[in-house]
Amino acid sequence: MFRTTLPTAALALSIALLSATPIAAETFRWAGTTDPQTMDPHAVNAAPVLSFLNNVYEGLVRRGPDMNEEPSLATAWEALPDGAGWRFTLRQGVTFHDGAAFNADDVIFSYQRAASEASDVRSWFASVTDVVRVDDYTVDFLTSAPNPLFPGSIANFLIIDADWAVANGAELPARDAENFATRNANGTGPFVLAARDPGIETRLVPNAGWWDNAAHNVTEAVFTPIGNPATGLAALLSGEIDLISPIPLQDVAQVEGRAGFKVQAGLETRVIVLGFGHDHDTLKYSDETDANPFRDPRVRLAVAQAIDVDTIDRVIMRGAAEPASQLLPAGLSGYSDQHADRPAFDPDGAKTLLAEAGFADGFSFGLMCPNDRYINDEAVCRAVASMLARVGIDAKVNAMPVRGYWDELRAGNFDMYLLGWSPGTFDAEHPIRFLAHSRTERLGTWNFGGYSSARIDALLAPIQQEIDPNARQAMLDEAAGILQDDVAYVPLYTEPLIWAMKDSVNVVQRPDNFFMLRWVSVN
Amino acid sequence: MAGFILKRLVQSVFVMLAVAFLAFSLFTFVGDPISQMTGVETSLQDQARLREELGLNDPFVVQFMRFTGDMLQGDFGYSFRTREPIGAMLLSRLPATLELGVVALVISLVVGIPAGIYTALRPRGLVSQSILIGTLIGVSIPTFVIGILLIFLFGVQLGWLPTFGRGGTVQIGWWRSSLFTGDGWRSLVLPSLTLGLFQLTLTMRLVRAQMMEVMRTDHIRFAIARGVPWRSIRYRHALSNTLIPVITIIGLQFGGVIAFSIVTESVFQWPGMGLLFLESIRFVDIPVMSVYLVVIAFFFVVINLLVDLLYVAIDPRLRVRESA
Repeated sequence: MFRTTLPTAALALSIALLSATPIAAETFRWAGTTDPQTMDPHAVNAAPVLSFLNNVYEGLVRRGPDMNEEPSLATAWEALPDGAGWRFTLRQGVTFHDGAAFNADDVIFSYQRAASEASDVRSWFASVTDVVRVDDYTVDFLTSAPNPLFPGSIANFLIIDADWAVANGAELPARDAENFATRNANGTGPFVLAARDPGIETRLVPNAGWWDNAAHNVTEAVFTPIGNPATGLAALLSGEIDLISPIPLQDVAQVEGRAGFKVQAGLETRVIVLGFGHDHDTLKYSDETDANPFRDPRVRLAVAQAIDVDTIDRVIMRGAAEPASQLLPAGLSGYSDQHADRPAFDPDGAKTLLAEAGFADGFSFGLMCPNDRYINDEAVCRAVASMLARVGIDAKVNAMPVRGYWDELRAGNFDMYLLGWSPGTFDAEHPIRFLAHSRTERLGTWNFGGYSSARIDALLAPIQQEIDPNARQAMLDEAAGILQDDVAYVPLYTEPLIWAMKDSVNVVQRPDNFFMLRWVSVN
Repeated sequence: MAGFILKRLVQSVFVMLAVAFLAFSLFTFVGDPISQMTGVETSLQDQARLREELGLNDPFVVQFMRFTGDMLQGDFGYSFRTREPIGAMLLSRLPATLELGVVALVISLVVGIPAGIYTALRPRGLVSQSILIGTLIGVSIPTFVIGILLIFLFGVQLGWLPTFGRGGTVQIGWWRSSLFTGDGWRSLVLPSLTLGLFQLTLTMRLVRAQMMEVMRTDHIRFAIARGVPWRSIRYRHALSNTLIPVITIIGLQFGGVIAFSIVTESVFQWPGMGLLFLESIRFVDIPVMSVYLVVIAFFFVVINLLVDLLYVAIDPRLRVRESA
């Protein structure tokens, strides 16, 4: 679905947007559940912040409606010889919102700011050894090893005006106390930050001097965070706001049933998976704690076969999700087409596998689950538990708010857990780096169960460095195969994206759930 | 009198310290602020460094002492979530909460006292019975359900009133008020009704019970026997005796209105301190949560102190006991 319909729809829509003559629109109001914590593009690496700030600031590279990389502040980029890094040719004649000219100094300053210890986005530059100014409009990013994915991996690296930041004492991102850049912004993007009232309202106005052709027809845009979903729905239905993202699945029918409103649903890039305590010697939440059955791949496969993902999709996700077979959704770069099948739903086969592994009588264990992080997360866990109960293993679901969840997982307090993963680089290397590689200080940091495969560990560096796409894909296929054979995780489904809006509003729903005002048109 | 006030002030300081301690120790169980402050790609080393910089590795006692020490010097610290100074943050949210609370209180008094008198004087009338049953249903439904029902009726179906926020506001110094624009008042109606409904019921029932009791006392019976006009008996002799305990309870309840406006603020996305507190819980913003609770404790302490002083002023017996 993702692979075919989404980019096509997005493309069709963007063509429609470009060809239609924009009609003068009034203020566009939209709401989300979370307020961006800061207006500083380097202080917090979180989707609400980066999504919002991509309207105000711009990177060297940006992503189009179907996530394709396209030129932004850089007009072109090419790999330096011998994999020494990348050369970016910068766009000339671009000005920041305050009128200052954009050039290589701003890029170098922004790099130093974003790679500093006070920054939360410095992991993007882990491979960068130096940034060299070649001339006013050429910059070289030197990397310690060949890095074919580098341009795409810095699509959210937003460029801030050097002189403005220095003049206002915002040389570094705010670490404890706020600074000028926390509430003010000076980017090159299509919208200018006009007023910022944290937690209440943020106003944007179009940037008249934007270098690109504006495809939107918004004259002013106002963002309001509305935390309570029922309040958000009421605000939309009463006409006070034009768009809200996301809305709960159970409210979709309400919106669609009303004249003048519509729901736009797509697939996000987040895959929901089940993880196991691979390195646990015993089960922590079992009545029979003599061993950890999940160390046996047959038991893990039995779990995968016992879960009927289609039913979960139909009943709990109302058909909006898409069953997944790997740690990233189908259609993203590096996805392995050879391994597109997930284990078939086969409860009898699962029982046979459990018997072979010596657990014919079943066992009980603890399933950890967040209850406010993913769409209907707790309900999914309960459904999984009831499906596993049918093959004789008894999952005790422990659902908790996400604010304490990661702590519990890091402390190893689980036998099985639910996790959602959205690859920040939109490439298959990302989940391997964070979920599949053995746990170290910098790699495998979200591999809570301590899955470890020598071959996966050995494959990661070549995957990161291989320039030839075919050779790279071969390695990614191998890694996907290992993860499936080992049943390191049980991928369940790709999460849906559900936005609700007035009929008069046209938007492009990018799979990374970023809300880009430059594609909004209001009739 | 001065000794009495001093004694109460010293007690108040201990109350606030105790609240700060409880709040602070509870919040260590809320969750890990670091995992909320950093992105998924942030390395464990960087997380550990941030934890160290924020002093989260220090023993609990050290963290608590630092918190109280800073508070005493007027330094409320910075939010983990937005990095704003917390003092300014709470101050900017205070007017919204106070205006909502005061309007809710006024509604509850203006409607509650007359309704209480009416139901006391005509206890068996049809109107009295319907008022009593109606308000009983009102308090039995949870606040957020009432709020949502009101929103969907008046905001979505009828379209008369806004569903969220404060509407048009006017800035007077640092105080941002919604009391000076029509739009602001329209925004106030639903949340203040929601918040005031419980107060209204309480006030009404209290006035009713007190009034019925006072009407049975000897001096009222004597006044009736003497032929004092009914109007004078009811509104001069009975009502003034009724209101003394009512004022006390209402005063104490106002602290509750401020503290429990959290639910109402969340339902109406009303940008007050309660909403800020909820957002802070979600992000494990420990400094903001702690300061908020201390501020709320401060409200209660001040209100209690004022009520105590009023008591002494109103009731001569207390003054006699103090001086004895």
